[in-house]
Amino acid sequence: MLRDAFLPATLTHSREPVFRAVERPGIRYSAARWNPEALGRVVAALQEGGAALREIPAHDLLAAWGDTVATFLRTGSLERRALDPPLGRLCELSQDGLRAGLEAVLGGVRKEPAAALASRARPAPQELGPVLAVLASNLPGLAVQPLLPALLARRPVLLKSPSAEPLFAPAFLSALARREPRLAGALAAATWPGGDTHLETSVLEGVGTVLAYGEQAALDDLERRAPGKVVGYGPMTSLAVVAASADFRGAAEGLARDVALFDQRGCLSVVAVYTDGDAEALAGRLASELLDMARIWPPGPAAKPVSAAVQHVRFEAEMRGLRQFALSVREGTVIVDPRPELRPSPGLRTVRVHPLENLERLPAILAPWRGRLQGAALAGEKAWELEPRLVELGFSRCVAPGELQSPDATWHNGGIDPLEALEQER
Amino acid sequence: MIVDRVTRFLTSPQNEPFEELALAAFAWQFERVEPFRRLCERRGVSPATVTDWRQVPPVPTAAFKTMTLAAAPAVEIFRSSGTTSGEERSVHHQPFPDLYRAVIDASFPRFCLPFAGAGGRLPILSLIPTPAQLPDSSLSFMAGHILDRWGSPESATAFGSRGVEAAPARSWAGARQREGKPVLVLATAFALAQWLDGLERLGLKFRLPAGSAVFETGGFKGRATEVAREDLLARLRAWTGVPAASVVREYGMTELTSQCYTGSLLGEDPELFRAPHWVRVRILDPETLEEVPAGTPGLICVFDLANIGSAVHLLTEDLGVADGEGFRLLGRAAGAELRGCSLVVEELRGAP
Repeated sequence: MLRDAFLPATLTHSREPVFRAVERPGIRYSAARWNPEALGRVVAALQEGGAALREIPAHDLLAAWGDTVATFLRTGSLERRALDPPLGRLCELSQDGLRAGLEAVLGGVRKEPAAALASRARPAPQELGPVLAVLASNLPGLAVQPLLPALLARRPVLLKSPSAEPLFAPAFLSALARREPRLAGALAAATWPGGDTHLETSVLEGVGTVLAYGEQAALDDLERRAPGKVVGYGPMTSLAVVAASADFRGAAEGLARDVALFDQRGCLSVVAVYTDGDAEALAGRLASELLDMARIWPPGPAAKPVSAAVQHVRFEAEMRGLRQFALSVREGTVIVDPRPELRPSPGLRTVRVHPLENLERLPAILAPWRGRLQGAALAGEKAWELEPRLVELGFSRCVAPGELQSPDATWHNGGIDPLEALEQER
Repeated sequence: MIVDRVTRFLTSPQNEPFEELALAAFAWQFERVEPFRRLCERRGVSPATVTDWRQVPPVPTAAFKTMTLAAAPAVEIFRSSGTTSGEERSVHHQPFPDLYRAVIDASFPRFCLPFAGAGGRLPILSLIPTPAQLPDSSLSFMAGHILDRWGSPESATAFGSRGVEAAPARSWAGARQREGKPVLVLATAFALAQWLDGLERLGLKFRLPAGSAVFETGGFKGRATEVAREDLLARLRAWTGVPAASVVREYGMTELTSQCYTGSLLGEDPELFRAPHWVRVRILDPETLEEVPAGTPGLICVFDLANIGSAVHLLTEDLGVADGEGFRLLGRAAGAELRGCSLVVEELRGAP
């Protein structure tokens, strides 16, 4: 049976935590019941397991990592067959959407990009202690992103899964430790209600670094309780720039992928498109591609609050007399919005296409969003000419449409070097 | 004029069928509110084609943030509260404040003062900013009117620049406790929590006189915070002596003129909201916008005749479920779920 925790090898026979069966619609797994002492013991065990981790030759570590990732990329593998059905339900993604999402996330940390990151890695001072990674539930497989650099920096890791998706991290760690048993003492995964100060005190005291993904309020709360230890990956958004000279058909095809992957829940999901070309034509093509995409990667079940928010966006656009290409609520919504301001998307593949006479204006339009801008899909010469100014605004990833959501291990999420954050004292 | 007909309907519903008045209100707004007419025309809907008020396209509350919806020149302008300076706020252009007062007169006493008697006044403590403090708040307008209309001379407002003013609220409660006459406290859930925090810090327990009640609005709507609400009610009882059964919840919003209330003081289910007779509440499927049967959660859609000045048919951002003659609140639609590193509406309210 799947578990929501993975314990360091030295604790596998301990009395705590106690596991109990959990049943959710269509999902059954075993969940650990944590208390502060048990969590504290996990952190202490990880600290001890760090010595073995530091002794593993880089070649062996990368081999085990690459093999585990390859296994998780194979949809027919034992691990994926056990994991995919519950993971799709928990992440509210269709099975095809989940496969595409995992391919994007795991593809970026295969052996080759992992080796590229490893070539820059140095062991962190031992006294830095274990790393706690607080994961978000929006993206399946997100655990691999903080895990790889932490291991390359030879720091033990505790992955804290969100209650909404507690299964991927322990399954991945379990597979990794099987391939490289010397890792078994330096890895842990656990699930507990985030923000539980009673439970978290011992953990936050015992770890040296906290890599936290989530909403700003949660990050601020962690920083308050673990001052100086937190590296925050807060809410960010992404967009596209399509110059008039670009091939609209190709751009729209790629953009549809960038919008639809993870049902538009990632920080690299495109929510707006700026163009100095025919905005209506581009919007029409994008809508058509989204319709196709809905067949290839069917949308997951829509949460009522999200559907409702999309309806509000649609009605508001209608009242403003805006051109909109409304597919079914879950398939997508494309609105041609002459107001240039960047606006958030409620999700469910909702995109605004903004006509701009001169793309040169874009950096000034986006300036108020500095610090919350993650990726830009660029198509056409004039769009690419903007790249240096977009980078200056804080964009961490500028690529062609269709590639935005597939960064590899060397990507600086939020502008943060994944290794620097772990190799030195903060 | 339609406004007079609606005003008469508040107190004399027997003179005209709701359905007829609803269609007349629609026709009036169709003629005067340009963005609304555009919405209708795009859908091929006009007063000539609509035969039932349910066919009137609802206006999303989100539209109040980006466009002016006014059927007549505004006399009062109400804005939704914002927690940060950059937040996009709803603006309700209210041309008929007298109608707003009439709505309060026709509904508030029935649910909140059922034992006060006609024209009865009682000591009221308001933990809501006064209209002078917040001139663009529809809630302050309402609280101000309630104090004027039903407050006895002992009534007071204990709200300052930092929120609830603990010292005057304490003195007020102490004095009323000694007098032994039932009182009414007006508060948002947040202000109530702030007041109770203050009492708890000082270890000051009151026993407000039997028959006292609390009018509570805003906040604690979502299921995720139900624990917090239960906790709030338990603390209210512990520190003021007011039981949960004496707390009346109000459902209202800046974009609406009317309010729905729970019938707690009438011995009804304290979580079930009831609409007054000039309001119809339906629950719609968020994907199809079709009405869903009782018991199925969906989006709350309100037809409020008193919203004649802006949009009578309103699609809210709240989720609810129909239950018998009323409805229950389940939570808010926009930003109900914050997901990790993705940027979602609620998270961005503080953004430019």
